[in-house]
This record gives sequence, structure tokens and C-alpha cells, in this order.
Amino acid sequence: MTRVLVPVAVLEGEAVSPGLLTLLDTVDVTVLGYQVVPEQTPPDQARLQYEERATVALEDLTREFRTAGGAADHRLVFTQDRERTIDRVADELGARAVAISGMTGDVERVLVSLSGAVAVERILEFTVELIGDRDIGVTLFLASEDDTATERIESAAQRLREADIDVGTVVAGGPPFDALVERVASHDVVITGEKAPSLRSLVFEDKADRVASATVGPVLVVRYESAPDEHRTG
Amino acid sequence: MSDEPEGTNVAGTAPDIPEVVETDEATLTENAELERTLGLAGGLAIGIGTMIGAGIFVFPGLAGAEVGTAATVSFSVGGLVALLVALPTSELATAMPKSGGGYYFISRGLGTLAGTVIGLSLWLGLVFATAFYLVGLGFYALDGLAELGVSVGSSPGIVVSVIAVLAGVGFTLLNITGTENAAKLQNGIVALLLSMLVAFLSFGLLEAFGVVDAGTPPGEAVNVWEVGPVLSVAALVFTSYLGFAQVATVAGEMRNPGRNLPLAMIGSVLIVTVLYVLTIFVATDVFTQDRLEMAGETAMVDIGRELLGTPGALIIIAGGLLATMSSANASILSTSRAIYGVSKDALLPRWASRINLQYGTPHVALGLAGGPVVVLAATRQVQLLAEVASFLHLVMYGLMCVALLAIRRDQPEWYDPDFRVPGGPVIPVLGALASFGLIGFMDPVSIAVGIVVTVATAGWYLYYAREITLRGAL
Repeated sequence: MTRVLVPVAVLEGEAVSPGLLTLLDTVDVTVLGYQVVPEQTPPDQARLQYEERATVALEDLTREFRTAGGAADHRLVFTQDRERTIDRVADELGARAVAISGMTGDVERVLVSLSGAVAVERILEFTVELIGDRDIGVTLFLASEDDTATERIESAAQRLREADIDVGTVVAGGPPFDALVERVASHDVVITGEKAPSLRSLVFEDKADRVASATVGPVLVVRYESAPDEHRTG
Repeated sequence: MSDEPEGTNVAGTAPDIPEVVETDEATLTENAELERTLGLAGGLAIGIGTMIGAGIFVFPGLAGAEVGTAATVSFSVGGLVALLVALPTSELATAMPKSGGGYYFISRGLGTLAGTVIGLSLWLGLVFATAFYLVGLGFYALDGLAELGVSVGSSPGIVVSVIAVLAGVGFTLLNITGTENAAKLQNGIVALLLSMLVAFLSFGLLEAFGVVDAGTPPGEAVNVWEVGPVLSVAALVFTSYLGFAQVATVAGEMRNPGRNLPLAMIGSVLIVTVLYVLTIFVATDVFTQDRLEMAGETAMVDIGRELLGTPGALIIIAGGLLATMSSANASILSTSRAIYGVSKDALLPRWASRINLQYGTPHVALGLAGGPVVVLAATRQVQLLAEVASFLHLVMYGLMCVALLAIRRDQPEWYDPDFRVPGGPVIPVLGALASFGLIGFMDPVSIAVGIVVTVATAGWYLYYAREITLRGAL
């Protein structure tokens, strides 16, 4: 079964929007409750003080996912490095995607970005599985000035149509990030691949930066098959 | 299976020691995971960053004034003792990759009394060391002011105290309120310092061997190649080597600890030893003992000027400020972890390890570090502060070696280090003898202060934590 990791800054009262809860009920969910501590603080010291509160909040959240219909469990991590923690847990679980929660109501239309060096096949496969037989439309988006762009996006659209999904396509020129953000407003959720450089910053930077940079709803980041090693060294 | 901790302290609190599983990337407790985020570079930066401030920027003048070029031997002896301790510490740390460092190993290997004494001595030893770094910072700042043409009036000593105290207060507040990732900054500072030093030392060495001529006077120091004075200087400058064991205080946060802990500890000792010996060689080659004595704590500034003119002096001042700051800051962080270690085990009240709700930082522990530091820094007693710090650390180093021997003898089931010191008991025995032996060469006043602190911590054990059993309780 496909598993999606949902990282939540559990002690900062971060919630999962109802739209995302419902959207994810076709997949298994692991809620990753995390607390980022500054380097002055050993993670164990934070555990000593916050474990109980965090566990209660996480159990509530996990219950919400189950109520929405999917299978869900949770893990709690105290860390000094959010990105590393998300990568590690996603690797351990073999999670297909990481969901960055954002506000959204009922999901009617999803924006799937194929821009950049992403694993298109994995993204499409995940999208098909996630949507299932629900009445959710997809807009495929590709920022490219390449001649073959239309051809590429058409073959991707065909793949989704075969799964009975209502598909629209957009090919845009110019800076990929701006072009994408322009279209985000008319969609409820963004699905993208890991390593799409512009979106990586959107997902892994500070929450404040993220909100400022795009004001988007939830983002689902589809991971590579084997975890890339580059941001683990260093 | 490890032993269960037993007993409670005077306030009725029991040690908090959950069952855990250690992996290379995280510590797994029953309900939560603790991410390991520090890499080898981070570990080396803590080790080198803590040590380099004192050995290069404060001691060359003081040590060179005592014994001249023979001080290279003093620094080598210090490095050798550090290495003899770093090896056993590495073995212990890979077997027990937990935050708390030396305290943790000793309390688990030798029991609660030794643990309490070392845990509290480690805290106070770090306090003395931090105060020492801050005074060094004050002297460098004073030289910096002079270089900029700012006159400080007739009482420069007071200015040094004021700067040291302000810096101490500043670092403490910064650590309480700063949630930005300062680790990267620390790494950057260490890298910058190392490249500055390599460049400076290369030039100094070329000059010393006559390859280039910067016109320095032929004023080589009169060298005192005698065992007594050389070892006495080694005892003084050993403060320059307090830092490799600080890597063990963050052992719980280090990735792949079986590999990275030994590399970071042993590597940082080797790197700083080479740098120290070369620095003191250059320093005593450029200046006579009288000149070194006159220049005192900031002799390196004058050496920089002698070699490279005013830019040389400015480079050394900048380096000295950076290095003493990085030492002081790294030590304040280690102190707060030392306090957390003992508080978690109920040897100090639990409130000492509370985390501030607003900043997520251990404000009580940081305050317990910074408060006494500021008071001590105001005294400006460079030598006394350095030696007491060394005394308290040396006791810990010696006992770590003893703990290793004790644990190896008992062979508890949980003991499975990734790194083993070769040569059986030879290195830990030598490490213990050298650590305790070096204490004998210190100034009697420093020894007296050190003994008072140790006895006070033992008194605290009798009053507060007599009922607690920690031996073997992982």
C-alpha cells in the first residue's frame, strides 16, 4: 500500500486541514510529529519535558485521519534538523510522498507539476493511486520552452485519462516557480516531485518563508525510489 | 540488559533513564525518537573550536616567557596526555553515545559518588575554562582598541574585566534567546581560523629557517630544557587541550557515533597539537623571553607585527577575538549539557534542565553556566582560572581512564564499543597516571582551589544524592 508521510510541528499546534485529511484517505498515512529544538538544547531534554503533551496531540491527529477513512499511525521525533528527520523517516517507511500541510477545503482540482528533473512516472503513478475513483480533476503543469514539451505533457495526460481522471494541461514558459504559483490559486493541492528545485525550497524552508513565497494549500512531494544521498552528507 | 537505576534524591526525584535503542541516525525511546544531527565536521568544529582559542592566542607569551623554545616540548607533552585520554574516551563514547560526556561514563562505570563529583566538577571546570577564554577575549579586545587608536586610560585591567563580563553576559543571553542555527557559524569560524593560522605559521616557519627575512631581530629566547619547568608549563598550558572531551558531551546528537566520535576527538587533538607546537616555535624564535614576558597574554599580536607589520598584528587580533569567542561559546553550550546530564539523573534538581517555552532553550542551565562565568571573568586571573579548569578536567580525564579499566574488568553485557583502544590496559593506565601526575605540577593555589571545589561536590553528593544508584544504569 502506498504510504504518505505527513510531518506536523505538533507542539506548535499545527493542524491538518480537513481537505487534506479527506484527500489522503485512499493511502496509508504516517503522521510525523516533530519538534525542532535549537542546538543549545539536546533533543532528549525536549523529550523529557514535552513527550506527553506531544503524544496526546499526535494521537488526536492520527484519530482524525482514521475517522476520515484511511489507515494511520504516528511517530514523534525531537530534532535539530527538520529536513533530515523527514528524509530519514520517509526512507525508513518507504513513504511514496511527503505531505506538507496547508489550508484547504474539499479538494476538487489538483495541480501536478512535472517541471524540472523529476520522476514523472512515479508522480503520475502516485497521482492515479491517490485520486482513485474519486471525482477530483487534475491539471498537469510543465514549465519548459523545449519543443517537445507539448508532446511530453500529452503523453502524461493520456496516462491519467486511461485511469478515468479528468485532465487539463498547461505548458508555460518563463521562470518555473512564478509560472506555477500563478496557477496555484485555482487549485486546492499541488503535487510535485522531489528535486524540482524551486519547490524544494518551498517545502523545506521555514514555514514563514513558505507562506510568504506562495500562500499555497497543501503540497504533496513525491519521493524518488531510492533516497538521494546528497543532503545527508554535510 | 543494563542495571536499573535505583533510589531518589533528597527531593524525592528519581533518575529519568528510559530504555532506548541506538541507531546511527537516531535514538529510539519508547514513544519518541531523537534525531542525531551532528556530522564529523560539526564534531571537529566543537573540539578544535573549543581548544584553539587558548593554545594559540593566549599561552605562547606566558609559556615562552617561562622556558623559551622548550615550551614546544610542554605543548607536545600536553598533546600526548590529551591523546592518551582521548583514546579511552573514544572507546567509552562509542559504547555509550549519550549526551553528558565524561560525567556519563564515570557515573556508569564507577558509581554515583564519582559521578556526582565529576558531573558537578565538569560544570564548574567548564565555568572556569569559559571565564579564562573570556579574559583572553578581553585582552585581545584591549589590543584591538589600542590598534584602532582608542585610549583606555590608566587602568587597562578594568577595561579587560568589563569587556570579559559584557561578553559573558552577551553570550549567555545569545544562547538563551538565539534560535538561529549557530553551528554553521561555528564551523565557518573554525575553518577561517585554521586557514589564517596555516598561512601565518607557514610564513613564520619560513622566516625562522631563514628562507625569507622579515627583519626580525636575532632574539631567540633562552631555552630552559629542564624537566621540572617544562612539565610545570605543560600543566599550565594543558587548558589548551580541554575541548576534545567536549565532543563527548554531544555524543547523543552525533550521527554514526561509532565512527565520528573517535575521529572527531582524536583528530581534533592531533590537529591542535601540531598547530600549538608550530605556533610556540615561531613565537619563541621571533622573541626573547623578556619580550614575551612583557607582551604577556597577547604576545602573539606583537609577533604578528614583527613578522608582517601592522596587518600582521590586525590579523592576529581578529583571529584572537574569533578564537576566544568560539571557545567561550562552545564551552557555555557544553556546560549547559553537563548540567542537563546530572539533572536528568536527579543529582541536581530537575528544574535545572527546564526548557524555556518561548525559545526552546535550556535557560536555567545556561544561566547556571553564564552566571558564575561572569563573576570569575571579572577577576582577570588568567593563570588561576586556567589551572583550576585544568585541574577539574584532569580529575575527570583520569577517572575516565579508570572507568574504562573498571568497565572492561566487569565486562557488563551492555558494553559493546565500536572502537577499542589497542594495547589492552596500557593506554588507559598511562592516561590516568599522566592526568593525575600533571596536577602535581600546578601552582599550589590552583590545586587548593580545585580540591575545595571537589570536596564541595562530594559534600553535595552526601547531602543530596546519596540514595541514588547509577552504576551500569544505561
